Amino acid sequence: MGDPDGSQALLLSWAAHDLEPYAFQRHLNLKVAFVPLLIGSYAPDMMTKWFVYGIHLGPWDLKASDPAQFHRGWPGFGFTHSLIYGVAIALIFWKVFDSKLWAVSFLIGQWAHALTDTGDTVGTMLLFPWTHHFYLGAWAYAGQTGRITDAAAYFSGLGSMWDLVWMIYGFYCWRVLTSAYFDGCIYRADTFWPWLNRWVPRGALLTLYRAAFFYGSSRWIAWTIWAHVIHHYPYDLSWGGPHWVHAAHP
Amino acid sequence: MRLRLTERRPSRADLRVFAGYCLAAGVYIAIGVIVTDFLLSVWVGMAYVLVTAWAIPMAVRRFF
Repeated sequence: MGDPDGSQALLLSWAAHDLEPYAFQRHLNLKVAFVPLLIGSYAPDMMTKWFVYGIHLGPWDLKASDPAQFHRGWPGFGFTHSLIYGVAIALIFWKVFDSKLWAVSFLIGQWAHALTDTGDTVGTMLLFPWTHHFYLGAWAYAGQTGRITDAAAYFSGLGSMWDLVWMIYGFYCWRVLTSAYFDGCIYRADTFWPWLNRWVPRGALLTLYRAAFFYGSSRWIAWTIWAHVIHHYPYDLSWGGPHWVHAAHP
Repeated sequence: MRLRLTERRPSRADLRVFAGYCLAAGVYIAIGVIVTDFLLSVWVGMAYVLVTAWAIPMAVRRFF
């Protein structure tokens, strides 16, 4: 166990995993369901990110002693970032819950996450159980330094530029965020929405649909201001940067 | 199937909705820059946007 850095929130990755599903939605329309697409995009980090940064749980401090190994490696939970993990969960949606739509949508979201995370210096075991890490090394993986330094590093390197690409593309595809698109595509494609509409008004559903885009883009702006206006961390957009932080490697 | 994705420009109503979200985002960002823990939870983010972009405007429309 390592020393936790104090956050008890449900921790997820930075903004790309919030924003990518809207881009896929733009191109796939009725062929996907948005909710499993988003769950798939979040899934690899859902079980692990809190333990990477650590939490206080009553008298206990819980944190992985080797966060990068725990998060992306084997032994560890690195299999959550593999293609076969997406296939396994998709098969559960398909065969157990009898929803091919949810299966395919989850698979697309989870594979997008696994492929996106090959961009950093640790990468992912895409072809698990083969434990080879596929990585581009475009930005530094600094999860082991704690969430504050990790945030500062991420929003100073190419990782934040990758997020920015998705954010700009999301605004370019603004129509997928409109009320008409929600009614004509999102709501119609998946019976989850009419089911939820029995208890939750349609306006709230529309807001929930837009929430991940709001969350991802607002968070990107907030962390960028925090890192560069408030704290003056230097930008380093060179390959593998920022080089002022110790980057983990497989 | 052809969806309504052909309009080139957002309508006035679209822009009004966008302005509301921008206002909510501005407050969210201001809080998040001061208290970074606020930025960490997707549940907090979703609850926030639900309150500011749906519940408050609905309450305002209903009571005023």
